[in-house]
Amino acid sequence: MMFRKRIFLFIMLLLMTVMLGGCDNTTQQPPVPLQNENPQQQAAPIEGGTVTPSSVGQDTMKMTVYYSTKDALNLVGEQYVVPKNTHPAQTAMELLVAGTKNPELISVVPAGTKLRNISVKEHIAYVDFSDQLVKNNKGGSASEILLVASIVNTLTEFHDIKKVQILVEGKKIDTISGHMDIGEPLSRSEKIIKK
Amino acid sequence: MLNLRRFRSIFLSLLLFMMFFVPQISMAETLDNNVPDASPAASVPILKSAISLPMAGARATNQLNSARWLVHKDAVEGTSKLRLVIDTSDPVIVSSTLDGNGPQLVLDIKGAVVGDVDDSITLDGQIAEKVRFIKKDGNNSQAVVDLPAMIDDGDYKVFTLKSDTANKKSFRVVVDINKPVPKVVYNFTPGLRNKVIVIDPGHGGSDPGAIGPNKVQEKTVTLAVAQKVKAMLENAGAKVLMTRQTDVDVYGPNASAVDELKARTIVANNNKADVFVSIHINAFSNPTVGGTATYYYQKSNYDALLANCIQDGLVATGGLQDRGTYSAGFYVIKRTTMPSILAELGFISNPAEEKLLSTYQFQQQMAQGIVQGLDKFFSQAAKRGGGL
Ligand SMILES: [Zn+2]
Repeated sequence: MMFRKRIFLFIMLLLMTVMLGGCDNTTQQPPVPLQNENPQQQAAPIEGGTVTPSSVGQDTMKMTVYYSTKDALNLVGEQYVVPKNTHPAQTAMELLVAGTKNPELISVVPAGTKLRNISVKEHIAYVDFSDQLVKNNKGGSASEILLVASIVNTLTEFHDIKKVQILVEGKKIDTISGHMDIGEPLSRSEKIIKK
Repeated sequence: MLNLRRFRSIFLSLLLFMMFFVPQISMAETLDNNVPDASPAASVPILKSAISLPMAGARATNQLNSARWLVHKDAVEGTSKLRLVIDTSDPVIVSSTLDGNGPQLVLDIKGAVVGDVDDSITLDGQIAEKVRFIKKDGNNSQAVVDLPAMIDDGDYKVFTLKSDTANKKSFRVVVDINKPVPKVVYNFTPGLRNKVIVIDPGHGGSDPGAIGPNKVQEKTVTLAVAQKVKAMLENAGAKVLMTRQTDVDVYGPNASAVDELKARTIVANNNKADVFVSIHINAFSNPTVGGTATYYYQKSNYDALLANCIQDGLVATGGLQDRGTYSAGFYVIKRTTMPSILAELGFISNPAEEKLLSTYQFQQQMAQGIVQGLDKFFSQAAKRGGGL
């Protein structure tokens, strides 16, 4: 009897271990490392735990990319479901650079801008663009605010990213078109998002 | 074979065991996560009063497990706040007071004891010095945040966040403390006479600023309007300093963007100006967007007032769409020490506004709007009695 009880307990414990593991797998995605970064630095895929196997397939991930409203006053998050990969933050930035197809929204990244690199260290994303970000910028603080906020807000959708440092051709820049002070890492701006 | 009752009792005890340990296991993984959750989602604001979260009984296991902090710098507004996040095993009731011994914020945390959290954590030093966790009794604890100077009730916020198993987050107590606005006392008098006013025509020289569809350049319009403002203000007896009088880079030929902006702030800071007014013309890819907007950076309790007065003046004289006033982390208004604004008169990217902005008549109207706004500002600021 005691022996049987022990076996039963053992099996239950085994089962529990499996269940715990299974629990982990169903309630969260495994951490996805960003490209070009220290393997220790990992990004959880999505804000708010919205990714569940039921809402999105096993092979896809959901992300939010911010674009401007037509009146240049706010940002609106557009949802994307993309094939799962190991560099979701890079994918989100590529979607931002490529621009929206939604006729109600406007892309604010200047034409010709390329994403050069993105890395995450100590919860700060360093996102490096080609110099078209500055050269092809049409000026105006409205465009500059929306550009900076769309980059920062899109990246801070990822749980592991708390701040964003914008780089151009690998270097820190103090301003894009002569208005905003972007010399240091910036955090999310909630106010500009259209509610 | 095992009978049903024994099975049930073992199963139930295992279930209890699991309920007990599963959250602990998932929490252990968040302990080394040294950055607070800046996610605004699912926040339960509990401003300064006890919260009504269900307490999972006064269990000895509910404890303060870890604490982390981050200085959050708003990308658009450029303002900073310190966010302190304390992880607890289960929900707690938190109340907060500012009356401690000296400048400190005291959080009474009911229903959780001091656990694995460090006794004292050094914070950024500017917004808050350190946080100490103090044992109250068998069920309750205290967190004392030492501040460099006394703050007001409106300068901080305390709320709790629910556990979020999908993202391995336990229950959290969140404290946001805004970077305090320096208590600068101004003694403004009504009228424009003898006021020292710095006018900053945006861009110039190698930097044309925004360019309209018909090739009108921002730097040309801002200088033309600034010169008209100067003439009007001098007529009213003010002393006007221009960051540039002609089409030049302020710092020097082909100045770097930041040297250029810094040079403009130095003119104002070194001359102890009463106010700083930067004039710009906006641009956006959608040519139908138009209107006037004025930006400020809250360094004193006068910046928003100055922005509102000038925005009202510009809308009254220019008649363009009123886009409103906004707080923004623009270099020149952030780094000048006196109340400052940056006015975006109109959109050069809008063909109709581009045309208007290049006419003498409209430039004169815009200048009038700025002067009216300044006059209104000094009379309203004087009514505040030089206080804060
Ligand atoms: Zn400008």
